[in-house]
Amino acid sequence: MLTRLRAWLGRVRPRSLGLRARVTLSFALGALFLSIVLAGTTFALTRANLLNQRESTSLSRVYVNASVVKNQLPDLNPTDVQDVLLPSLQVPNGARPVLHFAGRWFSLTAQIGENSIPAALRDTVDSGRPARMMFDLQGKPALAVGIPLPSAGAQYFELVELDDLQSTLESLGFSLLGASALTTLGGAALGSWASRRALRPLADVSQAAKAIAGGRLDTRLETTDDRDLGVLSSSFNDMAQALQERIERDARFASDVSHELRSPLMTLSAAIDVLEARRDELGERSQAAVDLLSMEVDRFRQLVEDLLEMSRYDAGAVRLELDDIRLAEFVMQAVKVSANGSRVPVDLDSELAGAVVQADKRRLARVVANLLDNARKYGDGATSVVLQRVDDRVQIAIEDEGPGVPEEERHLIFERFARGGVAGRRGSTEGVGLGLALVAEHVRLHGGRVWVEDRADGRPGARFVVELPVLSQ
Amino acid sequence: MSTRILTVEDDERIRTAVRMALEDEGWTVEEAETGEAALEAFKRNPSDVVLIDIMLPGVDGFEVCRSMRKTSDVPIVMVTARADTHDVVAGLEAGADDYLTKPFAPKELSARIRALMRRARKPDATTTTMRFGDLEIIPDAGVVRRSGTELHLTKTEFRLLCELASSPGRVFSREVLLERVWGYGYFGDGRLVDVHVRRLRTKIEADPANPRHVATVRGLGYKLQG
Repeated sequence: MLTRLRAWLGRVRPRSLGLRARVTLSFALGALFLSIVLAGTTFALTRANLLNQRESTSLSRVYVNASVVKNQLPDLNPTDVQDVLLPSLQVPNGARPVLHFAGRWFSLTAQIGENSIPAALRDTVDSGRPARMMFDLQGKPALAVGIPLPSAGAQYFELVELDDLQSTLESLGFSLLGASALTTLGGAALGSWASRRALRPLADVSQAAKAIAGGRLDTRLETTDDRDLGVLSSSFNDMAQALQERIERDARFASDVSHELRSPLMTLSAAIDVLEARRDELGERSQAAVDLLSMEVDRFRQLVEDLLEMSRYDAGAVRLELDDIRLAEFVMQAVKVSANGSRVPVDLDSELAGAVVQADKRRLARVVANLLDNARKYGDGATSVVLQRVDDRVQIAIEDEGPGVPEEERHLIFERFARGGVAGRRGSTEGVGLGLALVAEHVRLHGGRVWVEDRADGRPGARFVVELPVLSQ
Repeated sequence: MSTRILTVEDDERIRTAVRMALEDEGWTVEEAETGEAALEAFKRNPSDVVLIDIMLPGVDGFEVCRSMRKTSDVPIVMVTARADTHDVVAGLEAGADDYLTKPFAPKELSARIRALMRRARKPDATTTTMRFGDLEIIPDAGVVRRSGTELHLTKTEFRLLCELASSPGRVFSREVLLERVWGYGYFGDGRLVDVHVRRLRTKIEADPANPRHVATVRGLGYKLQG
């Protein structure tokens, strides 16, 4: 039962509405409910009050009139009752005296008579008791008062029309209804304002959270004197602080580890040089071992270098050494230096001869070197490097004839240590998996983009594209 | 007598391995564990090349570099932790001629040392003295005078000046200067040139802030003028 009720509530509750809309709606409904209760009470009280007042004034007047009738009736003949007594009575507009005397009914107008008076009232007065009651007189609300006059052998009635009271009450009702509507609207407006105001700190929080997510770890909320908001901002700031410390600790750890690795690496590297210089004096097995050592130390050194560079990115400590670089010359040189002996043709768009980019030479060279390296490891070596201009940007595309990169792995291969399944399938054990991640970081810091796609000519293979903004022609 | 190299490094294993690698090149290697010991050894018997690790306990590498520079034009190679920090510029400004980042390959170090020990290129066999306004350069003697007063240039500063002087008025790009003075290829660190030009200006210019002789050609390089 309860669960069904809850389910029903869940359906009814406008979950799709935003918090602000819900607060506004609640305020409006609250205001509506309150104003209806207030208006209803006001109306009922006012009505009762007005009726009481009218009744009591009517009653006292009716008693006065009744005593006048009682005193004068014995001295009058029936015609005088109709023509003299009744008109002499003090009755305001809308009040009609009716007299039952000697078995006859007297009244000032023909329409009013015995039948105008409710039977119940007549019965009560017949039994000798005065009475009053509300009733419907020709479709209008009215008050009937009856007083038995046993000493004169008569009964005095007065019918008081209440339709003026009715119209007063009606206009009061309309006013109250209008006021309720206004109050409801006011409640909605207040709710909207209050929710906006109450949610403003949330907007600040969300902005700060976005900034932190975007990498600005030192973002904090302003401290406030407000006790309620103070809790929010201080706990948010505590969280941000803890997060920053943790991230910095992790980054520092990676950096410290890499730093610590450099000294032994330095020793290894120099010692292997000494061994290599004596390679010819060694036996065949020792030579093979020295070659292995030498290769692995090179790889190790590259890894440590890459890790250090990566930890610099993580610590946000990378500052580019920007130079104006003639891209065409730069790429030719970079390819020449990094192609590892193999010749890779560089295809130049003639428009690009004078294109200048602002770049950190060392890092951009690593971008080219890492992409060529990647092509060598996973794509049988780069087949061409193409430079072309696209609007105000320039693209450096490196193509290979390897198996290419499947669609679903294309965004993954720029992740750290994310050697693609392709690499796994090809059984390559070379590479440390930071090369492409560093490419992505370097290019991003240069305000560019890097991605991998199918070869332009449709043949199997991968095409890595680095896009950079051009400074000038 | 073979070339003598002083290596200043606090890690004993690195010192030993580097010494062995350098000895294989046919050089004599002296070792110093601290900055103080290095300065002491250098004062006693100046070596031909000095290799200094910037991170030393006590007197640091910068200080050692500055102290040696007060009395000597010896080629100094410093070893820094990272290439992109201010350490490189600070080291060059302290008087180092070149730098390597740890861990470096000993072969790279040998190449650096050889490049630094090359003699200044003679612009022309017949030219003995070149004049640029108040500046007088005698390449053979390794002497530079300004208004008759001899200036103390390091070997690298002198080679840089001679390169620029080999074609007065011609603009030398940083890449060309890196190759000719330091033996680097296209991807050498341009800061080597910039800092050395700055150092050169403080010595040869009357007003280093408004250089008259070594002019910067924005985006292209440097040139020497009279």
